[in-house]
Amino acid sequence: MDTNPLTISSWPKAILHLDADAFFASCEQAIHPELKGRPVITGKERGIVSAASYEAKAKGVKRGMRLFEVKKACPDAVIVPSDYETYSLFSVRMFEILRRFSPDVEEYSIDEAFVDVTGLRRSFHGSYGIIAGKMQEAVEKELGITVSIGVSLTKVLAKIGSKHKKPNGLTLIPGREIHLYLEKLPVEKIWGIGPNTSAFLGKFGIKTALEFARKDERFIQKHLSKPYQEIWHELNGRSICPVISESKSSYQSISKAKTFTPPSKDKAFIFAQLSKNLENACIKARRYKLAATRLIVFLRTQDFRDSGIEIKLSRPTAYPVYLFQPLKEGFSHVFQPDNLYRQTGVVLSGLMPDAEVQRSLFDDNSKMEKMAKIYTTIDVLSEKFGKYTVHHAASLATKIQAQHEGERGDIPQRVTGLFKGENKRQRLGFPVLHIKV
Amino acid sequence: MTKDLRENRLKARIRVIADFYHKKGRMPSFSEIGDMVGMKSKNAVYKLVNKLEKLKVLERDDKGRLIPVSIASSVKMLGTVEAGFPSPAEEELSDTLSLDDLLVKNPQATFLLKVSGYSMSEAGILPGDMVIVDKGQSPKNGDIVIAEVDGEWTMKYLDKSGDSVTLMPANPKFKPIKPKKELKIAGVVTAVVRKYR
Repeated sequence: MDTNPLTISSWPKAILHLDADAFFASCEQAIHPELKGRPVITGKERGIVSAASYEAKAKGVKRGMRLFEVKKACPDAVIVPSDYETYSLFSVRMFEILRRFSPDVEEYSIDEAFVDVTGLRRSFHGSYGIIAGKMQEAVEKELGITVSIGVSLTKVLAKIGSKHKKPNGLTLIPGREIHLYLEKLPVEKIWGIGPNTSAFLGKFGIKTALEFARKDERFIQKHLSKPYQEIWHELNGRSICPVISESKSSYQSISKAKTFTPPSKDKAFIFAQLSKNLENACIKARRYKLAATRLIVFLRTQDFRDSGIEIKLSRPTAYPVYLFQPLKEGFSHVFQPDNLYRQTGVVLSGLMPDAEVQRSLFDDNSKMEKMAKIYTTIDVLSEKFGKYTVHHAASLATKIQAQHEGERGDIPQRVTGLFKGENKRQRLGFPVLHIKV
Repeated sequence: MTKDLRENRLKARIRVIADFYHKKGRMPSFSEIGDMVGMKSKNAVYKLVNKLEKLKVLERDDKGRLIPVSIASSVKMLGTVEAGFPSPAEEELSDTLSLDDLLVKNPQATFLLKVSGYSMSEAGILPGDMVIVDKGQSPKNGDIVIAEVDGEWTMKYLDKSGDSVTLMPANPKFKPIKPKKELKIAGVVTAVVRKYR
């Protein structure tokens, strides 16, 4: 294999990818400083690992592991319930800190961001490495969590960089050195390449990212679709995917799934769970003014077997009242009376803008307008008094029976130790340090 | 141009900048301000910024980038009073702070903490109180700090003299602490909040 660089210009563009290390667990360690250096696991209320600190990972704890397995692998693990409110506060702050460096920040997920730092060397009087180091320092000093950063010419390469060294890693991949990082990287580790594509590429003898990047353009155009052609360009240092700094305003699909403990066989209760997920997904769809054309219903059993079904809807909608019929049909298809279930979920897919929905000749227009009014009112009430102030009777069972069996300690500390003036629904927008002083 | 017209135009410009700030979550650049208010020359924008700086509408940091002052506040400063006396808030343009601004200097580095002990009672900090902790500020002599001393967490006055550091309680029933091995300062206490009803 030749050892020529893929491109000779070092920094035609500088894209930075930042990935928080074991984010949820790190947030817990930041607000409970006595947990620093100890194996911490979040997800107590779900019965499985949501996030594991590096100390826990070192003992073999993995995401999605069940908690009784954790207790065997790592008996001294501290298992805490998830406190999404605090994690969100940390996430927003992390993005704010990044925006001090550059306005072009893409909030890719709760714990990941892309930042376009092209051209900022002058204003920070230093290399891209120094800028990235300053970001890392600011996040660690102000939030008390560590992050790993990759800087390169494109998003795909930056992402390879941030994975290269974790935790608290900082990897710069300038144009001339790209090939050195791709040489040993298996092709399936590239962002956006899944098991199917990597198996397909394997048929052509492409095993590493470098072999993929070195293929000529004609081969790529002949055998691969557009997203993969873009990845190929990005691996070669040509930036195709821009950093999008606007917040997300549209979705391809919306899914809502919830675990409940203890697992249940109760048909009415499980359907109520499903119904609540449906209402929840519809609220989100309406917020983004979308309507679904397909509905997916799925159930997960206690031993983690999934079964699901996809239903095509006769008319695009985001109103549960029109979705209950298909939901019921799907549910009766999937539900088996002898199984113990632990999770239900719905996915609204094939989303389209609400305004583009065509009504058919046989629709009852006055009823549809009435429904639009009802759901607008429900949305207003939810905003004012909290979600599920008004809900469908089908979801009632979830209100009567708690989501999780009331083992004490399953509720995050933030909700139990309120300050005067705070309530169950509204709390101050600052994370709380849990230190006894 | 009359004084009124000039004032109205200035207010409209402040509103444009404030809108930009609230929508995008950052201050506009000079050229963006020029685009928004219809000024072609950077020098004109520069003069406008100077004026706004005097009015404490915004500020510049040491690198020259803009920082919002009054327009960052959630309290609306510039109403649209059509007739009658101008409201005092408009005349002064912006001399009020929200409680958030007053209590929180670095919003990204600020944490809350519920006090549980009596060691700072003479400083007016009692169990159940909420203290505001800033991780962004560097601790100075005499600050109240949250610190880890040899593995134990505490809230005390920071007393630095020469090479030695002592953590001083405000309650005489508690003893001063001299770190034997390690001292880590997690943040500076910048305020205490006690709500009665």
